[in-house]
Amino acid sequence: MSRYARITENLDWGILATTAVLMVIGLLCIYSSTSVVGSGIFFRQLLWICIGTFFLVVAFAVDYRNLMYSAWPLYGAVLLALVLVFIIGKEISGARRWIVFGPFRMQPSELAKVFVIIWMAYWAEKKKHILIHGMRELVFPAVVILVPVSLILLQPDLGTAGIVSFIAAGMFLLLGIRRSTLLTVGGLFLAGLPFLWFSLKGYQRLRILTFLDPSRDPLGSGYHAIQSKIAVGSGGLIGKGFLHGTQTQLRFLPEHHTDFIFSVVAEEWGFLGSGLLLFLYMTLITKIITVGLKAKDRFGALLCFGIAAYFTLHVFINISMAVGIFPVVGVPLPFVSYGGSFMVINLICIGIVLNVAWRRFIF
Amino acid sequence: MKPNNITNPHLDEDIRRKSRYLIAFVLVLLGILILRLFFMQIINGSYYEELSRNNRVRIIPIPAPRGKIFDRDGVVLADNRPAFNVMVLPEDISKPEDISRRLAPLLDRPASEIMQAIHKGKSKPYDPLVVARDIPFNQVAKVEMEMFNLPGVSIEIIPEREYLFGDLGSHVMGYIGEISKRQLEEKEGLGYAPGDLIGKSGIELVSEDNLRGVKGKRVFEVDAHGQRVRVLEEREPVPGRDVKLTIDHDLQVIARQGLGDKAGAVVAMIPGTGEVLVMESTPGFDPGVFAASLTVRQWKDIVEDPMHPLENRAMRGAYPPGSVFKVVVTLAAFRKGILDPDATVFCPGHYSLGRVIFRCWKPEGHGNVDLVEAITKSCDVYFYTLGRALGIDAIAEVGLQLGLGAKTGIMLPDEAPGLMPTRAWKRKRFGQPWHPGEHVIAAIGQGYTLVTPIQVAKAMSAVVNGGRVYTPRVLSTSEPALERELAIPRRQVDLIRRGLQGVIEDAHGTARSLRDKDISMGGKTGTAQVARGYVSKLPDEADIPYKYRDHAWFFGFSPVENPEIVVVALVEHGGHGGAVAGPIVRDVIKGYYLLKGSGNEQVRQDN
Repeated sequence: MSRYARITENLDWGILATTAVLMVIGLLCIYSSTSVVGSGIFFRQLLWICIGTFFLVVAFAVDYRNLMYSAWPLYGAVLLALVLVFIIGKEISGARRWIVFGPFRMQPSELAKVFVIIWMAYWAEKKKHILIHGMRELVFPAVVILVPVSLILLQPDLGTAGIVSFIAAGMFLLLGIRRSTLLTVGGLFLAGLPFLWFSLKGYQRLRILTFLDPSRDPLGSGYHAIQSKIAVGSGGLIGKGFLHGTQTQLRFLPEHHTDFIFSVVAEEWGFLGSGLLLFLYMTLITKIITVGLKAKDRFGALLCFGIAAYFTLHVFINISMAVGIFPVVGVPLPFVSYGGSFMVINLICIGIVLNVAWRRFIF
Repeated sequence: MKPNNITNPHLDEDIRRKSRYLIAFVLVLLGILILRLFFMQIINGSYYEELSRNNRVRIIPIPAPRGKIFDRDGVVLADNRPAFNVMVLPEDISKPEDISRRLAPLLDRPASEIMQAIHKGKSKPYDPLVVARDIPFNQVAKVEMEMFNLPGVSIEIIPEREYLFGDLGSHVMGYIGEISKRQLEEKEGLGYAPGDLIGKSGIELVSEDNLRGVKGKRVFEVDAHGQRVRVLEEREPVPGRDVKLTIDHDLQVIARQGLGDKAGAVVAMIPGTGEVLVMESTPGFDPGVFAASLTVRQWKDIVEDPMHPLENRAMRGAYPPGSVFKVVVTLAAFRKGILDPDATVFCPGHYSLGRVIFRCWKPEGHGNVDLVEAITKSCDVYFYTLGRALGIDAIAEVGLQLGLGAKTGIMLPDEAPGLMPTRAWKRKRFGQPWHPGEHVIAAIGQGYTLVTPIQVAKAMSAVVNGGRVYTPRVLSTSEPALERELAIPRRQVDLIRRGLQGVIEDAHGTARSLRDKDISMGGKTGTAQVARGYVSKLPDEADIPYKYRDHAWFFGFSPVENPEIVVVALVEHGGHGGAVAGPIVRDVIKGYYLLKGSGNEQVRQDN
């Protein structure tokens, strides 16, 4: 059997196809929502998909077990990038999140999400003899995770910090934690909530309060939520049609090609379109988990579970925000929202999953 | 997930079992979303559709009144007055032609102009657009009467910037204007929108963040015809914070009267703190005309005016310092330890260096002069000798320490640095060595040296206060900023001050005409040559064309012991310093005492 045939035979075509369809939907929505201002953003997204595909191939080609050896160096690189943000980062709306290289900008906190997954999987592989973790075993990994999380909180980027902690917590749970330890940690977290509240910036608190009571401020921070809900709801069963979403086209909806792109799908393609989108995500995520179940080692399995959790959180938070059941936090929709570094990272994740799936027969 | 049989046996059973929770978790989350979407899009779809079809909520931003600008005594210099703007919301105007035709006679302007304005807003139909700014009250009444016939049109009361003293102090104040594309990008995320007014120069620019306040908004519902039905919400704007200057308005008036219609600048400073009491530059401009209503024609008139009214000569104008610079040379000679103040130099009316002859301003010569006499009589030969002995680098070192030839750090935009030349600078700039003759002329403030009036005020303040160099400042909230302490020995300061006092009070002083028996005052004249050589050929100054006439400098301080005020005046092409610039300085100093209400009983009674 030629090497080529072996590649195609064992490749998980289902995951690739689902990803491709999601990206096409994203491109259509970006085209629609930016048609008023020209097609620049559309073509930029197309370019990013090409760049991301290149990285996908790289992430697929190199044996994923190499990631295990690079877990610490990658971790160091992410910490460095997160520190650099404070030194050379560009400040936008009071938050320092971006590093700018000429025309490119990058959010190191996005990288942090993936590297935390890799590090957790590495740690799980290394400590495979321990099945149930107690407090003492948890201290070290918790510190490792909390360092980047704290740096992200300082930027401040509440959404990303939350997602990173959530992914890490999920992976800990999968690995097994003693019940008493779980209760203690949970109790500590609840006790810490008030402190967290007071450490929030004014606009962050406002967003949460507005979420709890949107009529508080219908034109300030509640504006996004209300207009997005109108857009989603008015899509009805079959939607208003491509390029015919009035909320989108008449600019009632801000940031509709980035964080609120789901509203475009829902308004122009209706319940059928948004249902299809959710179905695609469900397919993709369950396929990734299946790959994890079949993986030949604990490392590969946990990589897949982590990536699945990562996509799930993004999809859930982003869409919840658009349908008004979650406060407005800047979390984009994987493969669909406009955004360069985000797209590249998502495609790298897919590359890793394909890698794990393909190498399960090679020992 | 049933294919357990092909699952890798290496994966521990425990994790495999738990991963089912992961799948369940995913299904539950996405299930919630599906349910929510079903509820919103299918069950309540028609409700939201109605909302989107009648998305008739309109938002009109209410600009915040800008903070006021006060002088040091609380005199209001810049305020706001209510102005009436006619606005349209392009979305609510179905027939722009009709509206324009109806509005035209009410506003007394051509319909085509209004049409154009409405067309501009086509791409942003929900952003209110100004079609007529600051209309008179009788037009307001007319438009209000016709309102029922003008859907989509509204009259908004907008605070308009008002500068109470017109062009007086206009350069310090600056002006506001419509925000530019570049400013919009720079201020991304700070809530600016196209069409907003923003500080463009002076204090209006520097204190923009304090002055601007927070915009409010009025949210209302309109009916299908674009008529307002009711106000849904109103958020009051938060007025900007007031700003208090160190400027003394009354002194500013005196300085302005002194300058009259001549082009020039006056700076007055408190030598012990760096507070700027006066910064006046003429000709001025009326900052009020820039607030958006400026026509292309008006703008051209201002920009193309040969007298450059927008230029703040007090900190943008760089001139040769002339004889005022002799004070700096004196200090440099003291610091190098080469000056014996009692030793005399014989001035025959000229100074020869090789075959080149440098003239003293007094052709018949001053005879034997010591330091104090040399300053008092402004003897060029004395300083030629010092300059030759010091060399330019030693002079420049002290000049730079005093703040000459560098931005003073006053918190106003676009300051000119001027120039303090050195040998290294000349080699770099022209690729030539420094000629011996250039040391000589540099010592009397001619040649390459260029300074601004604010620099002179800063440097002279430092000399007369004993060596403390303060950064000049115009905001009264800022603290005195001591840049450097030269620690000039008491005796040296006394000698310099005595020489400067002689300029005015001595019978031979170059500015003896300024003498005032009630005021203890010192000073120095200066003449900055514009066209070298031209002057001597024409005996009568009036025969010299304006643009070739010398610039007149005068710097004064008072009282001689423990000076409270330093005043610098520069009159462009004003001829000799003492005659033109001197009286301005004296008047400002007299005004200072008069306003202080002390030191002169006579004046107080007159008041």
